[in-house]
Amino acid sequence: MFNLQLLAPEIVLSVLALALMAIDLILPTRRSQLPYHLGWISALVALACVVATLATSSQGAGPLWIVDPFSQLFKAMTLLAVIVTFLLCLEYEDLSLSQSGTFAALLLLSAVGLMLLVSATDLLFLFVSLELVAVSSFILAGFERRNRKSNEGAIKYFLFGAFSSAIFVYGLSLYYGAAGTTKLLILSQNGSSLSLWTPVLTGLGRQGPVLLLAMLFLLLGFGFKAAMVPMHFWVPDVYEGAPMPVTTFLSVAPKIAIMGVLLRVFTLLVPASGLGLTGLLALLAILTMTVGNTIAIFQDNVKRLLAYSSIAQAGYILIGIVTANSLGLEGVLLYSAVYIAMNVGAFTVLQAVGKNGSYELSAFDGLSRRSMALALTMAVFLLSLAGIPPLAGFIGKFYLFAAAMEAGRAAASSSSKNIFYALAVVGVINSVISVYYYMKIVYHMFFLPPHERSSAPAIGPYLLAVLAVCLAGVLAFGVWPEPLIAQMRISAVHLP
Amino acid sequence: MNILSLITFLPAAGALVILALPKERERAIQAAALISSGLSLILCGALYVLFNRGTSDMQFVERIPWIPSLGAQYFLGVDGLSVPLVILTALMSFVSLIASLNIKVRIKEYFFWFLILETGMSGVFAALDMVLFYVFWEITLVPMYFLIGIWGGPKKEYAAIKFFLYTLTGSVFMLLGILAVYFNTTPHTFDLLTLLQSHAQWSSRFQILVFIAFYLGFAVKVPAFPFHTWLPLAHVEAPTAVSVVLAAVLLKMGVYGIMRISYGMLPLGFSWFLPILIAIAVINIIYGALCAMAQTDMKKMVAYSSINHMGYCLLGIAGLTATGFAGASFEMINHGIITGALFLLVGVIYDRAHTRDISAFGGLAAKLPVYAGLMSLACFASLGLPGLAGFISEFLCFLGAFARWKVCTAVSVIGILVTAAFFLRMLEKVFLGPFNEKWSALTDLDARELCAIVPLAALTIVLGVYPRPALDLMNTTLVHMAGLFK
Repeated sequence: MFNLQLLAPEIVLSVLALALMAIDLILPTRRSQLPYHLGWISALVALACVVATLATSSQGAGPLWIVDPFSQLFKAMTLLAVIVTFLLCLEYEDLSLSQSGTFAALLLLSAVGLMLLVSATDLLFLFVSLELVAVSSFILAGFERRNRKSNEGAIKYFLFGAFSSAIFVYGLSLYYGAAGTTKLLILSQNGSSLSLWTPVLTGLGRQGPVLLLAMLFLLLGFGFKAAMVPMHFWVPDVYEGAPMPVTTFLSVAPKIAIMGVLLRVFTLLVPASGLGLTGLLALLAILTMTVGNTIAIFQDNVKRLLAYSSIAQAGYILIGIVTANSLGLEGVLLYSAVYIAMNVGAFTVLQAVGKNGSYELSAFDGLSRRSMALALTMAVFLLSLAGIPPLAGFIGKFYLFAAAMEAGRAAASSSSKNIFYALAVVGVINSVISVYYYMKIVYHMFFLPPHERSSAPAIGPYLLAVLAVCLAGVLAFGVWPEPLIAQMRISAVHLP
Repeated sequence: MNILSLITFLPAAGALVILALPKERERAIQAAALISSGLSLILCGALYVLFNRGTSDMQFVERIPWIPSLGAQYFLGVDGLSVPLVILTALMSFVSLIASLNIKVRIKEYFFWFLILETGMSGVFAALDMVLFYVFWEITLVPMYFLIGIWGGPKKEYAAIKFFLYTLTGSVFMLLGILAVYFNTTPHTFDLLTLLQSHAQWSSRFQILVFIAFYLGFAVKVPAFPFHTWLPLAHVEAPTAVSVVLAAVLLKMGVYGIMRISYGMLPLGFSWFLPILIAIAVINIIYGALCAMAQTDMKKMVAYSSINHMGYCLLGIAGLTATGFAGASFEMINHGIITGALFLLVGVIYDRAHTRDISAFGGLAAKLPVYAGLMSLACFASLGLPGLAGFISEFLCFLGAFARWKVCTAVSVIGILVTAAFFLRMLEKVFLGPFNEKWSALTDLDARELCAIVPLAALTIVLGVYPRPALDLMNTTLVHMAGLFK
């Protein structure tokens, strides 16, 4: 009845994470990279478990969780991000090696949190997972203890995080008050079939306003974690201060997992349209895109620039959540997968270029003359982020904008038609705005001469592997997206 | 593999070869570029011979599923409207590559981007699937950004990003238009040929909205007033060969889009817009010509004359007759050849004198007879002297439009007058009068420049005396198209 075997990947990963923490104590050589290697191998093992459970026969629901193709896809994406992060750590020198075991364990635990998050069907369980992610990421963000910016970022992250957790818990308590349970989904007596716990759909009744308020607070709580505007203020400082691999991790894994949760909660379990929240979600999407893109224009630090860009990217993904049609659902999955490849790629190049400690735009000056291959690779990632065909980012955006247009056509009332069309128009205009600042990096790489004494950035085997995989993904799925889309179609299947 | 795919992707294959070559092997890079583009041009020759002039159907069709989940296909084909443009693209790209042999810095990158650009341009004219069309359309942006931004003039970075953002803004609305027609057609399709027959399903309001979305994309490219402001800047800053393809091919993408998609797919939207279109055509003609008149920079003058000539194309389209369409189509070809030659010639003098100021020269005809002869020929062709190619197409545009728009056509003729005035003034100031001794070291055209310019000049004369080879190619399709309008 507990169906605990469904969570095998998470359990395996938790055990390995705890083992890694212990290894830190007994490992004789103080400056070893061994935990990083063990870390990515652990994540790979968990990934294998997830892939093994992709077959529908091994899926179902537990008392607090649900395992379906949808959750498995997000788990796989999270684990990919974790593997990449470990590989990046192997070539990041500012990270103190004396505590590499702790670092690896925290990263894995944070991955466990994210994986549980996308499976959760109970708000309390959701909250615990969210906190597991949050607490580990606070520490990870501040891991460069000698770096003041890292400390500042971690403190800000912690304060904002604590605040958002409080809001989330408040929402949770209101939900309990209105619904009498913390469950979003209930299991029928024999455990074989699932049904939605939908006080919303069965008439708002007396509890209506309270429930609405509850969902609103929950949305705000998620908004902090996913860095939606206007809950995005922690992002640039945290991204700038955190160790580069951690920044890469934070910019993809939690963001995408939260998008998965939002998709599950606000389109499948408690549909936002039933609550009349579509307009608000659309507004959040529009704000997130526009503010992220507009502020990114004025950044001189590439870490901060990409931080704002990642805010804007979350805005595009939100379009798919607002539309809540099948195109939007697939679009969110597709864009998330593509986003991992292009964003990780861009951050990896940044790590390679910024090796001597400078992440300013000027660090990119004349990169094309120092290393043509690296400059072209970065250009591909940036153009993909901007949504220029024939790169994978274009296909993802195409899907999301298509979802908005389809939702607009299918909408019943003219006011909701306008909402969806406005989303599409704002989305495409934002794509144009984003080109300006992505091209700013291209401008520094290709148009400006290199500084004296600056040489080609050194790239080791691990960075090279990450870059090669990301580049291949962005190019291949841009030109031939069918296999990826087919996979997303399969993964868009969800319970109930 | 089909001939259209080869024409389109041979340059891209050349670009990949260049990417693999070490950047010190400059000769090999140039050879790879010329060979891949040259092969594409030779295949275009075959296309010209094999093309069946008796039908308005799509020919050399290739259809492979590309993204079945979305219904997007890899679907290429040409008819009388697009085949001249595909050939023009290959020809002007090859000529520009010859003219680019004097590029001295970052040769590898230059030819790489140039060949990618050629693939994008050919693809736009050959694509018959809306998604594919959009992909090719956008592919042209990135190489152009680099070509202007790295090898351009003093304000190159600004010109490059302005070009990029301006064009992208237009084309993203086109994307929304594409999505709108997709979702409002049953069954959903991106197939251009099906969409061309689907307008009965769409309400007038829908067609107008979608027309505006597409028009924003096309008008920026044409460029139609008031979206023309990127053009003079991009032209002035771009290196010579890039100006040539920009004027000769990229602008035609906009006119082609209006003829193929706006007119063919959205008849109600088009007829709603017709009065505005004719006004824009007249403004383009007269305003473009007057702006050109005011320039002292030769390149900027030619750039504004492009705006003027694109006005003739729009005028021909607005006439809605087979004659007008033939004028517009033929004007696209002629403008490509003539303005291409003009930009090359302006580039020649700039390479030598490092100035393009009209008043800085004088009496060059005695010193540079060949140059003066070719420049005069190109100018006369551009201002529409009978016997040269430009005259025939402009005449057809006016003839085609006159029946429907008498006053507007009459007013547009002023444009010809002004065009003649500024070209003749330029010829006078540069080539006639007392010789400016400052330029006594100037040399006449060298072999590379002659190779690039003489074929264009020859074509100008041939098509001016005997335009049938070009007109026959497009006639059947255009007559069919004109018959569609009710």
